[in-house]
Amino acid sequence: MQNRNLYIPVVVGTTRIGCMSAHAARVVADELIKRPGIKTKLIDIAKLPLPTNDAGEAIKHADFSAHIDRAGALVVVSPEYNHGYPGLLKHVLDTCLKEYIHKAVGMVGVSAGPFGGTRVIQNLLPVMRELGLVTIFWDVNFSSVQKAFDQQGSLADQSYIHRIDKFLQELIWMARTLRYGREQVSLN
Amino acid sequence: MDTRAQRGEPMTCPRCGAKMNHHADKVLYFNQAEETGSKDSTTGGSIEEMHACPNCGAGASRSISS
Repeated sequence: MQNRNLYIPVVVGTTRIGCMSAHAARVVADELIKRPGIKTKLIDIAKLPLPTNDAGEAIKHADFSAHIDRAGALVVVSPEYNHGYPGLLKHVLDTCLKEYIHKAVGMVGVSAGPFGGTRVIQNLLPVMRELGLVTIFWDVNFSSVQKAFDQQGSLADQSYIHRIDKFLQELIWMARTLRYGREQVSLN
Repeated sequence: MDTRAQRGEPMTCPRCGAKMNHHADKVLYFNQAEETGSKDSTTGGSIEEMHACPNCGAGASRSISS
């Protein structure tokens, strides 16, 4: 049981066409897949056909639910819009609940400014907690994101790799620890 | 999976039949609680138990009666 693969999908948290968050998400997924025993997939919320005249589990999307159910952890990559998260990211996250409980989440903030989405991550923390997810100590912050990637969307600043490595190391540890806890340690 | 049960009853894994581990409770409110029809008198919501299987890793949940 200890050697089972761990599935960690990466959620691209915006529907904006041409967003830089997609590049950030792809880099994180590329680093994830290099690790033995780790499976991943990019989940683009723009491709989830959710209605906007209802919310929550009432509009659960079967594929998204199945990905989260299978996941041992997830990475959420979010741009910062006016210090907050995209409304459609919250709309998607709210469609699941039981699927998240006692699983790890790592957050990646993306911004054009110098703070790398630190404020959007702070705003996401209480949401993640209420969903039942367990946050980790490290984040990844893509600041001045237009300089972090070249015109082809390749990473221009390789210093991010070291930060992503540290982030993923903790996320995977937390995911494995929580999986052990979910399966072996009783609440009562 | 939603299977109404009394608190403390062990849950059987729907995939492999092993006894599951109860690792969390979640209170559901609003329409979700009305749907399950088992409102908890203290919280006003419905308590959903989360379970995970130590044998095959499957997850499952159930509503419990208060």
